[in-house]
Amino acid sequence: MTIVFLTMSAVTVLGAVLAVTLRNLVHCLLALVLFFLGIAGHFFLLRADFLGAAQILIYIGAVAVLILFAIMLTRNITGTEGGRGSLGGAWWLGVGIAAALAGLMCAASRRSGLAEKLPYGATEEGVVKEIGRLLVTDWVVPLEIMAVLLTAALIGAVVIALEEERKR
Amino acid sequence: MSVPLGYYLVLGAVLFAVGLCGALTRKNAIAVLMSIEIMFNAAILNFVVFWYYLHNGALTGQMFALFAIAVAAAESAVGLALVISVYRHYKSVDVDEMKALKG
Repeated sequence: MTIVFLTMSAVTVLGAVLAVTLRNLVHCLLALVLFFLGIAGHFFLLRADFLGAAQILIYIGAVAVLILFAIMLTRNITGTEGGRGSLGGAWWLGVGIAAALAGLMCAASRRSGLAEKLPYGATEEGVVKEIGRLLVTDWVVPLEIMAVLLTAALIGAVVIALEEERKR
Repeated sequence: MSVPLGYYLVLGAVLFAVGLCGALTRKNAIAVLMSIEIMFNAAILNFVVFWYYLHNGALTGQMFALFAIAVAAAESAVGLALVISVYRHYKSVDVDEMKALKG
């Protein structure tokens, strides 16, 4: 279990770091897909099967393709950026802030007394059926609000992206 | 058998910090959006981790993660539409060049 966790964590962190540091945006996107796959693997490891499947469907199936379209619609010829030098040497400030935040969060989790905690109990049986039942009983109002939000986002995205075309 | 909760908390903190680092240092708006997706995923992973380690038989953590994924999808759709709209206006997606509040 520990080996699996460490391997998957290494893959996930590698994907995240590559997605943040690579110069070519398409390569960034491929690294981001690796990161999404790692997160989905963690969900499966945590016995959240439905979330793992949803992660693969939504992030790798939809968001990654959406980002790819945005890259294709907006990039110059190669999709690469200028070097870090054009930032005027301020990039280390961002790295420092992020490192400080990571250290702070790690220290806080160590001090919270939760760090040694082991899983509450085995949830061997699948939870998909229970999620489906809850979505149409206890959580039906959030589900409907979510549907309205997604519709609004869909219409809003289309309107924002079409705006300039209509003015001409 | 399984790892203690602290391992996952450190993983979530590292992933969030990597995403924050990207959001602060990248110049391309699409790269900034990708970094924000990394931060979103780190937070969602923490929801699932806390559900797995601390749940009382309730599924609230997983449901919250599910809704967070849906909100993140809506956010990325609107964000990328905005990036395309900005690109039409400035002919660039460099966040340093987006200085004007007036369109």
